[in-house]
Amino acid sequence: MLYDKHGPALVAYACSFVADAAAAEDVVHEVFLRLLSAEIRTPDVPVAYVYRAVRNAALNARRSGQRNVQLDANNSVFERRDGNREAALALQHALAELPEEQREVVVMRVWSGMTLEEVAAATAAPLNTVASRYRYALEKLRERLRPYERTENRARENGK
Amino acid sequence: MENKRDKFEEYLSEFQPRRPRALPEPAVGRQVWMRRLAAAATIAIALASSLWFVGKKNEWSGKELVARNPAAIPETNSEPQPLSLLPLTQLAFENPAQLDVELARASRRELPDFRGSESTLRVLAKE
Repeated sequence: MLYDKHGPALVAYACSFVADAAAAEDVVHEVFLRLLSAEIRTPDVPVAYVYRAVRNAALNARRSGQRNVQLDANNSVFERRDGNREAALALQHALAELPEEQREVVVMRVWSGMTLEEVAAATAAPLNTVASRYRYALEKLRERLRPYERTENRARENGK
Repeated sequence: MENKRDKFEEYLSEFQPRRPRALPEPAVGRQVWMRRLAAAATIAIALASSLWFVGKKNEWSGKELVARNPAAIPETNSEPQPLSLLPLTQLAFENPAQLDVELARASRRELPDFRGSESTLRVLAKE
């Protein structure tokens, strides 16, 4: 089901608009409830449609005067098996700083498991444009997450 | 470069976004029921329309057959009874008037056979 497959990625996506994991979860939940209650007619490309719906719902939630919650480690939308909350939070910040179209591509590709062709179809953008957005986004994220990545790589090497 | 990007993608995928809470059961159930209902309605409509179409088709083909060959209309009310000699002879002895009625009725359905040596037409022609 769409909710099981894309739900977590959509929460991550929504979180970059509302800056609060719980609010992001609410937004995704609300969009799916409306989908299920047939208030919304699902068009041909449901994934793209759901991403658009989540984006709009998240922006509405932000506009409707929801308080801006300061991010803390407990409020992170990402989790890691090793429990590194600091890195998870850094990723969330880094994602939120990306331009919207880059963020969308990264979330769809990495956490929704879509190919770049699928992302291009979903976002109605040329494949080359999508590939460029993805490349730029990864570069920015790598730059932001470099300290954490290095630390983890070092820890892995020491563990071997 | 590609290798570096792949490694970083792998690193990113180690971060798992929070799984949203489950959708309430009634919503899921209602959707399932709506789907089932829609599927049942579709099947019923398809079945009804195909039955109607088959019925209509038979009707059309019957009309077409009649239009092409009016003789193809089956006679339902009066089945032709072949004239057999024995009951007619018996009737001639017992009730000649009734024989005339029977022969008159039969003559409307069957032409007299003129090919036989004793046929009515041959006898009339001789006279």
